[in-house]
Amino acid sequence: MILKAENLSKRYMRKTGQANYFHAVKGVSLGLRRGELTVLMGRSGSGKTTLLHMLSGLLTPSEGVVRLGDADLYSMDDEALSRLRNKKIGVVPQGRSAIDSLTVLENVLLPGTMYGSGDEKEALRWLDALEIAHLAGARPAELSGGELRRMALARALARKPAVLLADEPTGDLDDVSTERVLTALKDVTRNSGTAVLIVSHDTEATRYADVLYRMDGGMLKEESLICRADA
Amino acid sequence: MNKKTIPALIVLILSILIAVGSQTFLGACVHGDGSFGACHWAARAMLALGGTQAVMAMLALVFPKQKQGLYLGMLPVSVAGLLTPGTLIDICKVNTMRCRMVMRPAMLVLFGLTLVIAMVGCLTARGRNA
Amino acid sequence: MKLRQLPLKNLLRRPGRTAALVLLTAFLALSVFCGSVVVRSLQSGLDSLEARLGADIIVMPATAESKVSFKNMLLQGTTGAFYMDASVLEKVREVEGVAIAAPQTFLASLKADCCAVKVQVIGMDPATDFTVKPWIDRSTSRALEEMDVAVGCDVTADVGEDLRIYGLNTHVVAKLAETGTGLDTAVYCTLDTMKRLLAAAEEKGVGHKITSDTSDMISAVYVKVAEGYDVDAVNNALNGHVRKVTAVRARSMFTDVSDSLTGISQTVALLIGAVWVLAFVILLIAFAMMVNERRREFAVLRLLGASRRGLSRLMLAESALCSLAGGMIGVGVAALAVFPFATLIETRLGLPYLTPPAREILAMAAGTMLATLLVGALASAWSAWRLSRTDVGIALREGV
Repeated sequence: MILKAENLSKRYMRKTGQANYFHAVKGVSLGLRRGELTVLMGRSGSGKTTLLHMLSGLLTPSEGVVRLGDADLYSMDDEALSRLRNKKIGVVPQGRSAIDSLTVLENVLLPGTMYGSGDEKEALRWLDALEIAHLAGARPAELSGGELRRMALARALARKPAVLLADEPTGDLDDVSTERVLTALKDVTRNSGTAVLIVSHDTEATRYADVLYRMDGGMLKEESLICRADA
Repeated sequence: MNKKTIPALIVLILSILIAVGSQTFLGACVHGDGSFGACHWAARAMLALGGTQAVMAMLALVFPKQKQGLYLGMLPVSVAGLLTPGTLIDICKVNTMRCRMVMRPAMLVLFGLTLVIAMVGCLTARGRNA
Repeated sequence: MKLRQLPLKNLLRRPGRTAALVLLTAFLALSVFCGSVVVRSLQSGLDSLEARLGADIIVMPATAESKVSFKNMLLQGTTGAFYMDASVLEKVREVEGVAIAAPQTFLASLKADCCAVKVQVIGMDPATDFTVKPWIDRSTSRALEEMDVAVGCDVTADVGEDLRIYGLNTHVVAKLAETGTGLDTAVYCTLDTMKRLLAAAEEKGVGHKITSDTSDMISAVYVKVAEGYDVDAVNNALNGHVRKVTAVRARSMFTDVSDSLTGISQTVALLIGAVWVLAFVILLIAFAMMVNERRREFAVLRLLGASRRGLSRLMLAESALCSLAGGMIGVGVAALAVFPFATLIETRLGLPYLTPPAREILAMAAGTMLATLLVGALASAWSAWRLSRTDVGIALREGV
């Protein structure tokens, strides 16, 4: 297990209503393995995104522990956690996540420049693999939703992360693009041994899953093992 | 109106300010006895130079293709403007006189600005209409 | 791509917003720099006036106008002419405690050659003069001879040129260092030369209220008090002993000048303070609004691995770039206004005004830049702090 979550919960204070708290995520334990593509299904509001944010070190859980390798994410200081996230965890968030003042290529290079210098060859390779290489010099404002999504994916992948967490990576894509993105993710999983978690409500993604989770009401409902990489 | 016409526009405004100002609120004084000193003729020269430069700036706006040449032409006009009051044409001998206190510094600042902006215009216009 | 370039790229991406921030800081820098240069120039003007007027007591005719016109002559360079009998000088010297008594005679020229320019001509006695003479000596080793004149720095006649005063040709032998006072527009000569000029003036029919023989007229006597004597006591003795004159302590003459200087300094300091606070508040709001508007962008940066400190650095860098640009523009514009038009400012204020040396101006420019950088940094620090408290997960969900 490269990324391991134990008994994760996230409570929010309710502004109104009878109950003081509501649990967005409740007692979730799960692990991601190297070279395995995990898909997390679930309806809107089931707590998928909250869980993903906690796994990526962006949202402090109310209870529970997240470990990346030996490191306990939420016992680290901000500087160390940020550095770890930059180096080891690739995140593709929901919605727009481009920095508008930078070109597409610069956006992809950005994480690399934060603690060193960006690898331009690797960045271009991923832009090419995701078929947006011709947009390298364009501004994010000139891109369609699907292109932006692929740019965000290239940005996460160009860092060669140990763990890749993608929130609805195929959300804005047509069938052809969806297949391309999922194939690319599958290839990364296979070839570089990255642990990939896809949060999606798109059943298409399940076809690529090694492990499938379903989430409902903040709880992990079932785990179905489709095919272990090492099996 | 694109970005590249901004220098010409600024030069036009400053040159009009030079031409009008040198005859009015930035001008030399009229002597008590109604006679004119050298400073009066220096102010007239300012009118000529400022007017010339204003026309050049206007031409640069109307004929963008000739812009670079016009900007180049503004350089010696501005230099002449910088040299005229006090160097080429004498003005009053006392620093507290209006021509020395107001006209000369104002003209130096204004022509200095047109010189710099014409240079900027010249550089930004370079290679565009080749 | 370098991460260092990100702040600049962000600023260039939003030219309108950036221009507003730069303009605001430019305005701040302009007011701080202008204010400090003007106040400093007034201070050095007053210092130089006191240094130039190294007399303890000044004796002049006991008329109301003479005192006013003497002061205006020193402060504003207006011309003045008032006379008393030369015998006053001997009477002054008789008073106990008077170490040196040096006479000066004033004459307002009607018109110098070049243009309609009225200059004050000051005749002094090279043997006894201790106020103007040392100043002249600093510019020339040559003693002033008959029909020689030394000119103040605001008279733009050059050494070697001739200056015609009342139809007489005088020879410019020295040009004096700037004092920032009315003395800069005056022309200096010996008492002998002055007598000829006075005679020429009278020939031209210029009435200077001269009642008797022009050769025996003086305008003022500068007194240095001997060591061990109380200046006030000597001043009183002079007023009692010499008739039809007023003896005035030099320092008391300029108390109102230094008072108004204090007033101006305080007003300027208050204005600068107000502008500073205003700029601070506006920048505070501007940065807070900017952070709100860019919450998602900052959240993405966090997600990509930027630390809280990294984000604060980014914000500080953006504000520093704005302040730097604004500061330079502000100081530049201020310099274009305040230095070429120094004489205009001096004349309008009617106070001694001496532009400080370049070293001090550079220090003030640096101080101004520091003040604008500081206001930008402080204003953005609060937003940066608030931003670092924002939950990335929540910010990411907003406005998807």
